[in-house]
Amino acid sequence: MFTGLWVAALLVILAFLVIYPVLMLLLGALTDTNPVVDGLSRSLSHLSVANFLTVLANPNVGEALLNTLIACGGGTAIAVAIGLFFSWIVVRTNTPFKGFIAAASILPLFAPPLVAGVAWAILGSPKTGLINTMFKWIGSDLRVDLYSMWGLVFVFGIYYAPYVYMFTASALRNMDPSLEEAAEISGASAFSTLFTVTFPLIMPAIVSGMLLSFIVMLGIYGIPAVLGAPTNLNVLTTYIFKLTNWSPPLYNTAAAVAIILMVVTGLLVYLQQRVLSGRSYTTVAGKAFRPRSLDLGPWRWFTFAIGMLYLLVVVVLPSLALIVAAFRKFMFIRDVASLFDMRQYSLVHFESIFDNPLTMRSIYNAVEVGVITAVVGGALAFAIGYTIHRTRVAGRGTIDLISTLPVAIPGLVVGVAYLWAWIGIPGGLYGTIWILALAFIARFMPDTVKALSTSFLQIHRELEEAAWVCGKGMLGTIRTIVLPLASPGVLAAMTLLFVLAIRELGSSLFLYTSNTMVMSVLLLDYYEGGNIGKTAAFSLVQTVLLGVLIGGANWLSRGAAQGNVARTG
Amino acid sequence: MTATLEVTELRKQFAIGRPAIDGVSFSVPAGEIVVLLGPSGCGKTTTLRCVAGLEHPTGGEISISGKVVSSPERGVLVPPRSRDLGMVFQSYAVWPHMTVRQNVIYPLKHRNISRADANRKVEEALALVGLSEYADRPVVALSGGQMQRVALARSMVYRPQLLLLDEPLSNLDAKLRLRLRDDLRVILKQTGMTALYVTHDQAEAVVLGDRIGVMRNGKLLQMDSPDAIYNRPADLFVANFTGATNELAGTLVTCNGQYGVVDFGDGRQGEVALFHELAPDQKVRVALRPENIAIGRPNGVNTFSAKVLDRRYQGTQTAYGIELFGKRLEAIELGTAARHQVGVEAPVSLPRECLWAYRDSGPVSHE
Ligand SMILES: Nc1ncnc2c1ncn2[C@@H]1O[C@H](COP(=O)(O)OP(=O)(O)O)[C@@H](O)[C@H]1O
Ligand SMILES: [Mg+2]
Repeated sequence: MFTGLWVAALLVILAFLVIYPVLMLLLGALTDTNPVVDGLSRSLSHLSVANFLTVLANPNVGEALLNTLIACGGGTAIAVAIGLFFSWIVVRTNTPFKGFIAAASILPLFAPPLVAGVAWAILGSPKTGLINTMFKWIGSDLRVDLYSMWGLVFVFGIYYAPYVYMFTASALRNMDPSLEEAAEISGASAFSTLFTVTFPLIMPAIVSGMLLSFIVMLGIYGIPAVLGAPTNLNVLTTYIFKLTNWSPPLYNTAAAVAIILMVVTGLLVYLQQRVLSGRSYTTVAGKAFRPRSLDLGPWRWFTFAIGMLYLLVVVVLPSLALIVAAFRKFMFIRDVASLFDMRQYSLVHFESIFDNPLTMRSIYNAVEVGVITAVVGGALAFAIGYTIHRTRVAGRGTIDLISTLPVAIPGLVVGVAYLWAWIGIPGGLYGTIWILALAFIARFMPDTVKALSTSFLQIHRELEEAAWVCGKGMLGTIRTIVLPLASPGVLAAMTLLFVLAIRELGSSLFLYTSNTMVMSVLLLDYYEGGNIGKTAAFSLVQTVLLGVLIGGANWLSRGAAQGNVARTG
Repeated sequence: MTATLEVTELRKQFAIGRPAIDGVSFSVPAGEIVVLLGPSGCGKTTTLRCVAGLEHPTGGEISISGKVVSSPERGVLVPPRSRDLGMVFQSYAVWPHMTVRQNVIYPLKHRNISRADANRKVEEALALVGLSEYADRPVVALSGGQMQRVALARSMVYRPQLLLLDEPLSNLDAKLRLRLRDDLRVILKQTGMTALYVTHDQAEAVVLGDRIGVMRNGKLLQMDSPDAIYNRPADLFVANFTGATNELAGTLVTCNGQYGVVDFGDGRQGEVALFHELAPDQKVRVALRPENIAIGRPNGVNTFSAKVLDRRYQGTQTAYGIELFGKRLEAIELGTAARHQVGVEAPVSLPRECLWAYRDSGPVSHE
């Protein structure tokens, strides 16, 4: 009786959080009515596939889709090359300081995409970009233009290489080194061993890292928004946002394009799961291998230099660019002397952003949303995780399925779905902090449940059964045994949620109002306002804030949060 | 094209700990199978990997067919792929993304061999290990024993000058291990290849090796024919490791060449075999195989009275615990009848050629 009610309650909550918004999105894609003006009943009577087909036939949609595939495909190719190269350096060679290279090369995962985009706009814009300015100083005719497809591919590639790296590095670590030694003994050179034995063996890891980085790129808004806007280069995410910003907003078209994005993502997620669950050659359960490190001789300084170059490109240059732009009064830099002329620097941009009452409000709002998301989302994930992994109630399979569904829904699509779900309901959630929090809870549910499940699985069933035998009831057992034992995991999951919620942009874009403006959206506002100094200053504020939070989260959870921030982009 | 292997004063010091190999010298004449035998961690694998070139020695010299392939003192280090040798790993190390044929043909692809030739050699190698019908199966569809046969075919298909095998049977179940062990000797002898074989299993060593080297703590204690290892062990450790697990302490009274008289305390004296120089009045330890204790059959000079403490019937043999000179010894009697009762006093005779006296150099730990 009680368990029936419990399962029903969870299913209702999940339906409310996930199923209802997705259905509304579908409805939006299949009608031509306005959710605000027309209301639900009129929308339902206008249901027809025709609207969706019209959108499909729209050449702009096709162009955005094509651009998306090119940008993500190109970016993924670069990411695979970089990720594979680095995992090999770190796991299989005697490159100096490889521990440092390993730690530093996953740093890009923590940079919010919008901040990365802004930094690379400052570096690589065709006219005023710092790189071109430097080329001019040294008298070179070389010019770069990152406001282009090439720029998008390049920035995608270098920032999402760590996704490939994480998969391939662990596959290499778990691979029996004698497989490679056998090849060498057989007469193969180190190079040919790499391509005939090593890479084919870790192919499943390469493919799933590749798919994951493609999936994450598909859902990114910040980078293409910055680099694509000047030349009107649209990808699906930026195009969807544009549609809702036209006047009148084209909510139906946006919903239809969002569905396309969701379907593509869903297919890729499905593929990735297939690859991951397929036979893996390299993992031998419970066997530890002696690390094998190839002596590169003098070449190890070359691999070291490449490692440093990567760090320079993804961490040092963008950080310097942001710092210079944030503290410099004017972005125009005539020569080298002017770059180091301290009179050109001031706190004026910081003063100006903090003079704007919206700035503090957005930080406050972001923290508030973060706290709600963490507490409510954490509790819900605990309930779901416990039900899935620790009980045998009927319906837990369905709960598992629905709670993992959002894996296949990009943040931006969650945003559009929630917009459709609530904008037409007067006096409802729309315009409150809660709609943001609920959207985040839904979006990050799979990751939270997964993070928590690991800590459940570490608690021995017998401990729990011992309490049952001692006459404790189910709730008593949870309170006295499970909760205390799982509490480090729960805490870690909540901190993770907090950090993810604070940096989320994609879904916030559609759900904020002037009262509920959050940090990430305000940063976009500053950027679109055209003042690079203020944008850079606010980027720095955000980055430092996030750095402190992620550092704290990592400290609290001893590393558990790291991999998970990574998974969600 | 088989070749001799010459290892001289080989040393290997890893970044931490005592040397893994500490001055090991031996040679393997062409066409011979030499087995390195010793407890886990004694440096067998490291020795083998140094010969293969997978590990870089820190001292000494290795030469194959007269050509120096490794000599840190002279700065010589030939990479594994140029040493022309084959290796079979403990973990099989067959490539799971390939079929049996692809695995076996792989080494030939890295040599200048025509396609037709390569295919013929692959067929031959597969026939040799008895896997002809499995050529086009993916290796992951094979059993452990079959995978190890693939590994063997792969390491022999190009007829390397030297074959290295690192506990190739230790991951197999007992029955299969026995079969493959016998097959392995036949195959190796059929091809006439020089082989260096590493194991911790003495039965395997005896069946496979033309000569056996016993190792301990990075040192080679004795390198001899199986017969000599079993009948004239060089020291107490070798004796113990190859099965002479009983040990008696005493003092040497007299010695005359190959034999001597030992006092086991309280004036009880017995004749023992001496393998190395010992002087009267020296403390000695005497090693003795359980199989060489004959209960209830007074015979020859070394006949003493012992008490049967316990009895474990094992079908084709019976193991007894007996008390002799105040010490507990193990005795084994072959046959399906358990003839002695627990608690009885019985005469036991210890043939003098089976009592091996060694200098007592403090307590010996038997790993
Ligand atoms: N790569 C290594 N790094 C450090 N110590 C090692 C390494 N390989 C082997 N050793 C050490 O060298 C000793 C001999 O090891 P090994 O040759 O594998 O023994 P065996 O094969 O006889 O069991 C052991 O003490 C082992 O811990
Ligand atoms: Mg070993």
